[in-house]
Amino acid sequence: MSRRLLVSSFAHENDLLAATQAAREHGYTILDAYTPFAVHGLDKAMGMRSTRLAWATLILGISGAVAKLWFQIWTSATSWPVNVGGKPLKSVPAFVPVTFEVMVLFAGVGTVLLFLAMRKLWPGKKPAFIYDGATNDRFILVLIQDNASFVVEEVRSLFERFHLVDLEERIERV
Amino acid sequence: MSTISAATRLAVRPSEGWARNLSILVLIGAAVALIGIFAAPDRAWPNVLLSTYYLISLGLAGGLFVALQYVSNAGWSVSFRRIPEAMTEVLPVTGLLLVVLFLGIHTLYEWSHEAVVANDPILHSKSGWLNEPFFIARSVFYLAVWMVMITAIVKRSQRQDASGDLELTRTNRKISAGFLVVFALTFTLASMDWIMSLEPHWFSTIFGIYNFAGLFLNGLATMTLVIILLKRMGPFRNVINDSHLHDLGKLIFAFSTFWMYIWFSQYVLIWYANIPEEVTYYARREEGGWGVLTIVNILFNWVIPFIALLPIWTKRHEGVLLRVCIFLMIGHWIDLFWMIMPPFMAKDPIVGLWELGPILAALAAFFLIVFKSLAKGNLLPVGDPMLGESLNLHT
Repeated sequence: MSRRLLVSSFAHENDLLAATQAAREHGYTILDAYTPFAVHGLDKAMGMRSTRLAWATLILGISGAVAKLWFQIWTSATSWPVNVGGKPLKSVPAFVPVTFEVMVLFAGVGTVLLFLAMRKLWPGKKPAFIYDGATNDRFILVLIQDNASFVVEEVRSLFERFHLVDLEERIERV
Repeated sequence: MSTISAATRLAVRPSEGWARNLSILVLIGAAVALIGIFAAPDRAWPNVLLSTYYLISLGLAGGLFVALQYVSNAGWSVSFRRIPEAMTEVLPVTGLLLVVLFLGIHTLYEWSHEAVVANDPILHSKSGWLNEPFFIARSVFYLAVWMVMITAIVKRSQRQDASGDLELTRTNRKISAGFLVVFALTFTLASMDWIMSLEPHWFSTIFGIYNFAGLFLNGLATMTLVIILLKRMGPFRNVINDSHLHDLGKLIFAFSTFWMYIWFSQYVLIWYANIPEEVTYYARREEGGWGVLTIVNILFNWVIPFIALLPIWTKRHEGVLLRVCIFLMIGHWIDLFWMIMPPFMAKDPIVGLWELGPILAALAAFFLIVFKSLAKGNLLPVGDPMLGESLNLHT
């Protein structure tokens, strides 16, 4: 299987934003955009739905807090009761700082690992070659030529309005 | 540029009736406070103190916010900098209130009675710091220093409107850095003097930062409230976008959690050590109605804002943010009530005429002063080099 891609590059982030918006309005399928730095508003221009990662963070945080709270009660009140200054064994205020830290640890580390896994960015992964300037001074938009009505010249004339710098076709083997 | 010039011409014009209604509220509240001082001094004086402290907090929070933006060279907040600047205008009025408060010093502060101090070894050993002349001198000193430094910043910011001189930004950055240091030291002492010494046997070294957390949280909430009101009234319609609201929402969310963090830090150390001279403070606040108020305080200042502002969309949503701000403004009043009142209300918190009058006057005076101040000059700092960045904020 292979698919035909159209790689277009721009010199300014505002051109990329406008071109992305226009491409979506014309019904082209956007594979991805590549920029040297984070361009605010690009996610909206690309029509991406907002991430579900926040929900994962919430669940990770709650499970970290619950697990740690249970662990502390189990270790210092159930399995081996420890009397600290005559306070009740299940003294929740004493458990709060550690519970809080473990909640942050679970949510923070878990979110990063989950993000890397979702984007398939594990160690040893080869970087995908997109375009020379994508890490320097070029803003790249990649479209998928996914139907017969896709005419490269039409895209070129559309993108030239946004000061298109370069346009090239690629065949990607999937 | 068209946005800038169009927006600056829109001055805020609070309608005549609006200003008159606020003035009437100020007068009613002040009258209630005045009658209370004679009819029920034990209840009225602490509330006058609370309201004065609330107003000082708002004015200081405005100055603090402006100084923080200068020090961090922040561009995003420039377009609404006139709001925190206007908030600082309440400080001169609080000077007047402070003078009034000195008349109630014997009702408020146990350590001001020489007979009590003579028979109390702890208070006697603290009398080098806690005595009337030094207390008054310190109070005046704090407010004077804050006003001088904040006025220096605000005046330069206003002068830049005409000249656009970059040197004013640079000077303001230096003054702001100095102000942050001075503020940290003086506000810590001020909160200990005015609030902590109401229970002079008790002490907490984290008290200053706890008060700072409340001050800045309420300052951010009130500032956001005014910004949203101005957005609804018109002048800020094209100035404030949802990215600004998002950033303000994030700050409120962060400082609400910071407040909780510090609240718990103070509580857990005292709970853990369990030393009689420290735990009396919380023992008093865990019984009966005060225990309920402790929970309500946490609900208003942290639980509700935290849950409400957790998703992205609520931070960008004008209506949700506005409601959270109102909750936090009430929450700050509850927080101060919880700190100030227990020595004066032995059993349960009571909220009646003497409690509501002074705070009504303070809030009405605040909005009156802020909107009058905003109507005077440019609503946008048109000479600031970073105004364009702020107007085009996109996150």
